[in-house]
Amino acid sequence: MHNYPRWPIHAALILVSLVMLVPFYWVFKTSITGENIFVYPPSLIPVDPQPFFYVDAWYAIPFPYFFMNSVIVAVMVIAANLVINAAAGFALTKEFAGKRWIVLLFLACMMIPFHATIVPAYLVTSHLGLLNTHLGLALPAFSHIICIFLFKASFDAIPPSLIQAAKIDGVPEWQIMFRILLPLARPAVAANVILSFIWSWNDFLWPLIIIRDVEMQTLPLGLSTFLAYFEDTTGSLYAFCVMVLAPGLLVFLLAQRQFIEGLTSGARKG
Amino acid sequence: MLTRRWMMAAAAALVMTAGALQTQAQEKKLTLLTWNLPIYEETFRGWIADFKEMHPDFEVEWLDKKGTEWAAFYQTQRIAGTAPDIVDIQGMLWAEYAADGGLLDMTPYFDANPEIRERYNEEGLKLWTYEGGIYMLPYYFSKTLLVYNKKLFDEVGLDGPPKDFDQILDYAQKIAESGEGRSGFITLNFDWLYWSLFAMNDIELLNEDMTEAAFNTPEMVEVVTKLAEATKSGAINNISWTGRWVEPNNAFATGDIGMYQGHGAALFWIMGQADWANGDTLGVVEWPGGYGVPNAHGLGISSSTQYPDEAFDFVQIAMNEKWQTKMADTFTILTLHEAVDEALIAKTEDPLKKATLETSLANMDKAVATWVTPLDAKIKEAFWPDIQAALLGQKDPAEAVADAESKVNRVLRRAR
Amino acid sequence: MPVETASRVARTTTGRGGLLARKRHRELLLIWLLLTPALLIFLAYRILPLLWNGVLSFQFWSPTKPAEWAGLFHYEEMFVYDDVFWTSLYNTFLYMLTAPISIGIAVVLALMVNSRIRGRGVYRTIIFLSYPLMVVAVGIIWRWLYDERVGLINYLLRQAGLIDEPIAFLESYGTALPSVIAAAIWQITGFFMIILLTGLQNIPPSLYEAASIDGASRWSQFWRITLPLLRPSIFICFVIAIIASFTSFDLIYVMTGGGPGHATELLITYIYKAAFTLSQFDYAGALTIVMFVLFVGIALLGNLLAGGDAGKVDIAE
Repeated sequence: MHNYPRWPIHAALILVSLVMLVPFYWVFKTSITGENIFVYPPSLIPVDPQPFFYVDAWYAIPFPYFFMNSVIVAVMVIAANLVINAAAGFALTKEFAGKRWIVLLFLACMMIPFHATIVPAYLVTSHLGLLNTHLGLALPAFSHIICIFLFKASFDAIPPSLIQAAKIDGVPEWQIMFRILLPLARPAVAANVILSFIWSWNDFLWPLIIIRDVEMQTLPLGLSTFLAYFEDTTGSLYAFCVMVLAPGLLVFLLAQRQFIEGLTSGARKG
Repeated sequence: MLTRRWMMAAAAALVMTAGALQTQAQEKKLTLLTWNLPIYEETFRGWIADFKEMHPDFEVEWLDKKGTEWAAFYQTQRIAGTAPDIVDIQGMLWAEYAADGGLLDMTPYFDANPEIRERYNEEGLKLWTYEGGIYMLPYYFSKTLLVYNKKLFDEVGLDGPPKDFDQILDYAQKIAESGEGRSGFITLNFDWLYWSLFAMNDIELLNEDMTEAAFNTPEMVEVVTKLAEATKSGAINNISWTGRWVEPNNAFATGDIGMYQGHGAALFWIMGQADWANGDTLGVVEWPGGYGVPNAHGLGISSSTQYPDEAFDFVQIAMNEKWQTKMADTFTILTLHEAVDEALIAKTEDPLKKATLETSLANMDKAVATWVTPLDAKIKEAFWPDIQAALLGQKDPAEAVADAESKVNRVLRRAR
Repeated sequence: MPVETASRVARTTTGRGGLLARKRHRELLLIWLLLTPALLIFLAYRILPLLWNGVLSFQFWSPTKPAEWAGLFHYEEMFVYDDVFWTSLYNTFLYMLTAPISIGIAVVLALMVNSRIRGRGVYRTIIFLSYPLMVVAVGIIWRWLYDERVGLINYLLRQAGLIDEPIAFLESYGTALPSVIAAAIWQITGFFMIILLTGLQNIPPSLYEAASIDGASRWSQFWRITLPLLRPSIFICFVIAIIASFTSFDLIYVMTGGGPGHATELLITYIYKAAFTLSQFDYAGALTIVMFVLFVGIALLGNLLAGGDAGKVDIAE
């Protein structure tokens, strides 16, 4: 199976890569172009590149605040997802009465669209006294069901003999989780980190509803405020898009190897 | 154990936040929610400063939401029982909140301070009157007009704006045929802004007591058919029926469209986008027959407020001559505050803007699409999609009108 | 409450005494303790809200008025009179085409980036790059690409001579939904590719070697080895795609707002509109319930089609 021509594969992949990259390029080009962005025909390369739109976007919106809020919420979400999902995933590797129902419950919960439950979710958060707080922003995203199953699959793949050996060595049962299971499930950890980061980083409607203070807003809200300022007729909007997207891309690029491994192991059956 | 520790920490955090919230609730506070005006922050701070001079013991929180998200935010707050005390509401949406008891009837305040009522254009104030009560103070106001591109009109040999419906279509056709990529007419379509097209053909949306649809008539079918044909031929730019705000305005800003129906605020926005747009190149006149659809904002008070008197003081400060003059000067926009509007028109130098302002105030009694009904949003949603499909040639006009009629009637019947 | 159940179970076990039973008891307690945080989150943010919608769906309710019993009124309204419901349901199913299309593309891509070619790591990264993006920003970007006058897509099509007149992609009844679907596929395919790639890498090479010795063609190897063994991964993609098809609120919201007409209205955007724009929270509740039932049904059906055990092995059991 090793002797087949490679060039058609390269050709196809280069084409796909182009399709994937062109939108990035186009928005970047728009964000630095010096001429009127509504001129037809549009030039394929930036004309008179300049950073004006970035400066404009920077001053229109308290970017550092929004960025910090997004980071704080993302960190809370990631930490909570790791702890809660690992715990639940571990529990699901055990046999117990009612397990079937718990699994079904989790699966059903996946099918409840959050956007349709904004109002009651707001009431719950309000009763908890968490409106306009980072914790209130993060709480609904504290556990993602897919990630629970990633952990479960990952734990299932660990040979029981390893755990048995640890027990014989006198490792207390509750420490097995941290000393044996989590280190071996590192890919699932990576997948949890990245997926919960992505989902928390992108959330738009929830912060819109529960955040009141400008100082508490996250980046997606910044985008919405931006649209309110300028509609979508200015290069500054696209500059702000680039500023909003860059951190997420950076995190991904740094963690991609771990992440891809993480998903790999998640998909493997135990 | 970690889980237990986590839960204890979470519980502690909950208790602490709840405690903090309770102490906060003790101070006197008003909340102001505005509609898509982050750019006007400085003035809002000014209102608040003036109000605090009067009521030093109060805090005022200012929030702003974009139009598309305003409703989601306000509705959630209403359900939670924490509706913002003072709200800026666009169009006729307020009637729904007034009818279900969410807004405070300000009539007693008007009666107690007759000079407030005298400030305002009387016809204008009717826009915020529901079952005898006044629910909003006018904040800013504009009305749809007919704008025409003089350069294109000259080129085609038309010597002035059209006088009636058929002339509009006829001129549009001529302009569209005069060059590649041109079209004759475009309109904004949100919030009934297109309604003058129907009103000028004597079409009524609802019957007198607003219990039944009244638009399923041969005239209506004929009008829709003509508009659909003109759209198909390119005389009417199809963005008229699909675009939201940016798209039609951008399209007119290219200078390839002969006529534009929109309100003053949109026209000024176009002037900001297109440097060619000025009094020499554009003409502004009343819509043929004097019709016009208002596009207005008002400030109201939520009935859930703990401090109605102070909230009214706030609204009164915000709407006083000083601040409304600021509003008028900043956005070159009418406020229905008669003294302010007169002063604005007097000091506006740009001929196109001056004409726009004057025209907007003319024939206030012919303002159309001003039915004050709590069902406004639902009727719009029942009426528009079928008519829109017909205008875009996706549906037979007669069928579309009949379908829209039955849907509107269903909304009206269900509400009874 | 799960915790109560746990202690009840625990008590009965302890009653019998004995070291083994006590161990079992402690283990059960641990299991339920570990599940509790997740269950609490889902209870507060999924189940309670769903119940809230369920209760409202049988009432006449508005924020400032006391509730009245409505029976099946809203459901009748929905199924019998509301053609927007049917349109948005139809559109939601069309939107679900994202699943087979993007999974299909992803399978091909995964096979390609799994082959021993130079630079495959770079290809993988590039193809995945769109997934971590903020959906609101993706909507803004694609709206800009689709722009009728100066959009890149119209420009390229015109340069290539494929069209004479620019196409108003997002403003025409025929093209609006496919255009949004294309953007959705663009964003999610890379994610599926990675999931499938990991599935591919878990297939033991020995299987292919054995098949080669038996003289099986590469084509039949794909159908007989690769695809069946990929089934669990495909099932995960399928579940994610289904969930994406009803949570794609942001994309529609930014790109078209559900228009023109209701041409891109999905159930989720219609629920939002019914609740917040039209103040019909009771009706939106009924829509939510119907949507929930529908998607649970689809997931079960999918599980069945995936061979029943495929999903179970990986996700459920």
